[in-house]
Amino acid sequence: MRIARILGAAGLAAFVAAAAPVSVQAQQLTIWHDLGDNGVAWFERAGAEFAKTRPGVSVRSISYPTDQWFGRVISALNTNTAPDLIFNNYERVIRIQTQTNKILDLRATLNEIADKGFLGEDDLRVATFNNRMIILPAQRVQMAFGMRASWLAKVGEQFPQTWDDVRRVAGKFRDADPDGNGRPDTFGMALQAARPRDLIHMLDLFVFGSGLRHTLIDPQGQITIDRPEHAEVLEEFLKTYTEYRFVAPDTINHSFNEMYQVILGNRAGMFRVGDWNVRGWDGANALAGDFVSGPWPSFRGRPNSVVIGGMRGVAVPENSPNRALALEFAKFLLGKEAQQASLELLGAAVRKDLNVSALSPRQQYFARAEHRLAAYDFPESVHTFYPELEAAFHRKLLSGIANPPRDWKPFIAETAREMRELAARLGRN
Amino acid sequence: MIAAVDLAWRNRIFYAFVAPFAALTIVFGVWPIALSVQVSFTASASALGTTPTYVGFANYATVLADPLFVASMARTLLYTGLAVVANLAFAFLAAALIDSPRLRRGTMFFRLALFLPVVTPDVAGYVVWRWLFDRSFGVVNAAADLLGLPPFGGIASVDTVLAAVLIAELWHHAGFYMTIFLANLAMRDRALEEAAAIDGANTWQIWRRVILPQLRPAIAVNLVYATIQFLKTFTVVVVMTKGGPADRTNFVSYYAYQLFDQGRYGEATAMATLLFAVVIALSLGALRFVERSEVR
Repeated sequence: MRIARILGAAGLAAFVAAAAPVSVQAQQLTIWHDLGDNGVAWFERAGAEFAKTRPGVSVRSISYPTDQWFGRVISALNTNTAPDLIFNNYERVIRIQTQTNKILDLRATLNEIADKGFLGEDDLRVATFNNRMIILPAQRVQMAFGMRASWLAKVGEQFPQTWDDVRRVAGKFRDADPDGNGRPDTFGMALQAARPRDLIHMLDLFVFGSGLRHTLIDPQGQITIDRPEHAEVLEEFLKTYTEYRFVAPDTINHSFNEMYQVILGNRAGMFRVGDWNVRGWDGANALAGDFVSGPWPSFRGRPNSVVIGGMRGVAVPENSPNRALALEFAKFLLGKEAQQASLELLGAAVRKDLNVSALSPRQQYFARAEHRLAAYDFPESVHTFYPELEAAFHRKLLSGIANPPRDWKPFIAETAREMRELAARLGRN
Repeated sequence: MIAAVDLAWRNRIFYAFVAPFAALTIVFGVWPIALSVQVSFTASASALGTTPTYVGFANYATVLADPLFVASMARTLLYTGLAVVANLAFAFLAAALIDSPRLRRGTMFFRLALFLPVVTPDVAGYVVWRWLFDRSFGVVNAAADLLGLPPFGGIASVDTVLAAVLIAELWHHAGFYMTIFLANLAMRDRALEEAAAIDGANTWQIWRRVILPQLRPAIAVNLVYATIQFLKTFTVVVVMTKGGPADRTNFVSYYAYQLFDQGRYGEATAMATLLFAVVIALSLGALRFVERSEVR
């Protein structure tokens, strides 16, 4: 009898112990992203605000390196072990949806938000894929042209206004010992080209920053790269990697990490500055604020711009363990408190009524959006085959960079022809 | 049948002892391979779920129709051929030199120097090689410059990337093959060489007719192991080249890994299964080749 009582008590204790975490877990939202420590801090702050009106609810965010994020999200969604929410760039969520078909359509959720006037037509278009709203847009990703301020002073130049200025300054950065160490160890620009996808950001800057509207294909399905004004820009882009010798000779092996090493290692004078870079680069351990951001230089007199390179947003898997609460939190991320925190911690938001006075001048450059902004054309939302077409395009450009032709014009014409054939084939399937 | 059962019964103690290890081998060795093959017949989106959708050979058809995969497989085979020959030749020569009675001092130093890279973490080693080949500050080009030689493209040039990767891998692996050769050399019957010398055989003839035939076990082990090793080349690509430049080092393992990364499990495991089949076929072929030359 005594043994039975002891066993009974032990069983009850085990049941309580097993049940207790379940009841807590039911109130905990998990979100997977790739925003690093700043992202973790953002979700922590937003989660704390969210919990003020929902006692007992907590938000736990986990940041993975981007490559790992893909694999984990896809396998979790496909094995019904999904987190409550996921957060990333829209095109990455498109890839998740393509591989899983398990992202909730958030149109109804968006309609429930009263205060959403800050989301423009472009923002909503980019959030849509195959007639489903797969993300609630939360952060516009802006990219500008960055320059080492001390190097500009050393070579006696101003921030370049035109592409010709860029070529002249890049040459000086390479040849005029701008770091003053007496060794020829500096480069004009920091780029990346290890993997086909590595070309995307700088290609966007060249194209959209120069006033063009499409990197590869227009909404009608026409390939644009061999149109004269586009071919000119593309040729300069390819020459920047090759015959101009503005970049480190190993750039063809450089991915994000190596490119950042070149930038932070004081080896290149010009680089892409994303709004997400500024907070870190302002700090003492990185560039210590020795950089100035501006719009992409004007090309042949066309209007130039800072580029909206993408949109980050929150998505909810169909098999989210706490779906209703997850949708509530997704909406909350567009609220003023969460957006203010996003701006302060990550340098990006979608709302326009935020307080920017606490930001550094370089962060304010993006936050105030005072310069002309050109948005990426989001062809993924128009042509569902675009990711495959774009991958082939990047691979082709990379083959040219690896084996530079004597004349780029026939190469561009050949690339355009190949892309037309591929687009026609993919469009038929 | 009865005879087989009878034989098994007579050896029951042996089977009882072996059974746990056989079970472990099946659970941790064979089962994952079988699962991987199973996934290769399913649609990627459902591959990891409890009720996968089977698509027959569709993933194999997709993979074999992909020109990038075909090029990747061809490149993998070419690289494997080059790497096996280079590694075994280097290892054999190093073993022969270290085993030579003329090298009276320093054998331990050379053994250690050549074997240390084997126990060095491969990622760390390849990161160093990447720096050595760097065209801005790498030692290789600094030395070439000093000697008045043309610059070496290293991993940044489509013309030299295979050679650069091969050198890094040779540094990492050759010590292992050398150790196998050295072990076999130590076990050989030296009396045969003395007899051959008394019969008037020169050094070349002694190596060709007396020593080499005794090294068949080492050659067989090294050939099979190296073939498997280089067909699966992966880490060096991840660390040094990421498959580039222009796909020149996009070997099958790395290509499959990229598809895994995109959640294309069906195609990725189809690639892995095809590579597995090639590994088995070539390894058995290499083994059979060595066995047949032994018979002759």
